[in-house]
Amino acid sequence: MAIPNSENGDSAAMVRGGRKRKRRDAAPEPGHRSFSTWRTESIEKRYSSKLLEALRRIRNDAAEPRGNGAVRDAADRALAVAARGRSRWSRAILSRRAIKLRAVRRRRQRGMGELPRSLPHPIERRRRRRRSELVQKKAEELGRLVPGCRKVSLPALLEETSDYIAALEMQIRAMSVIADAVSTAGGSSVGLPDRSGSPSTG
Amino acid sequence: MSSRRSRSRQSSSSRITEEQINDLVSKLQSLLPEARIRSNDRVSAAKVLQETCNYIRGLHREVDDLSERLSELLATTDMSSAQAAIIRSLLM
Repeated sequence: MAIPNSENGDSAAMVRGGRKRKRRDAAPEPGHRSFSTWRTESIEKRYSSKLLEALRRIRNDAAEPRGNGAVRDAADRALAVAARGRSRWSRAILSRRAIKLRAVRRRRQRGMGELPRSLPHPIERRRRRRRSELVQKKAEELGRLVPGCRKVSLPALLEETSDYIAALEMQIRAMSVIADAVSTAGGSSVGLPDRSGSPSTG
Repeated sequence: MSSRRSRSRQSSSSRITEEQINDLVSKLQSLLPEARIRSNDRVSAAKVLQETCNYIRGLHREVDDLSERLSELLATTDMSSAQAAIIRSLLM
């Protein structure tokens, strides 16, 4: 699998003002190292153990089965934690629950029927229409898919998306390994999956 | 095109050139699975964005399926022996 040259990201950072290049670790620039970071063994292991802890908690706490919303939630939160606050999408995921609780509480206080509204920014839209309208539409669609990126500039959106995609692919790899391991172990303790994730026959 | 006008108006805040956008778009394109099969011809930005949307939706579906699978496994498996197996496989 070809790993894209990081030079593209560097030139973009340089044009943006060079400042961010010096403080790589502190600066929120996910796009830079997205491909390589999310592919290391260590991050996948870290993610897997976090997820396992969460799964154990779900299993132990649930008096009644919770439905797979809990697992999906846990998987996403663990993924956001693995991002270490360096990306907008991860921060958005971590604040999801807080926002939902706040909204539920507010709705209860004011009575049902009051939904949170998000108004589009008409001024932003007018400026962006100078870029192709189709590109803008597609960018909005993409912004709805990446957490926390609905009103983000196009370059930032593209950076977040690169990082988000790499993270999702890692999430899928890790969850597949866990699912295979659990299903294999559930049947018999012999025949553990090897590190590549494929269960051995039996 | 009015792009020149827009660029001068934006020059104080964010000079986002077409080249930068195309740069990022092509970088995004290289992350999509089909990009490895396709030749290096310039694909329109809109197309890349559309395919990215589709790809992310596909990834979300995979995560959903895996979550569902894990949910069912959690309900039916004896977690302690499974956990030992997983931890062992993770440490290997």
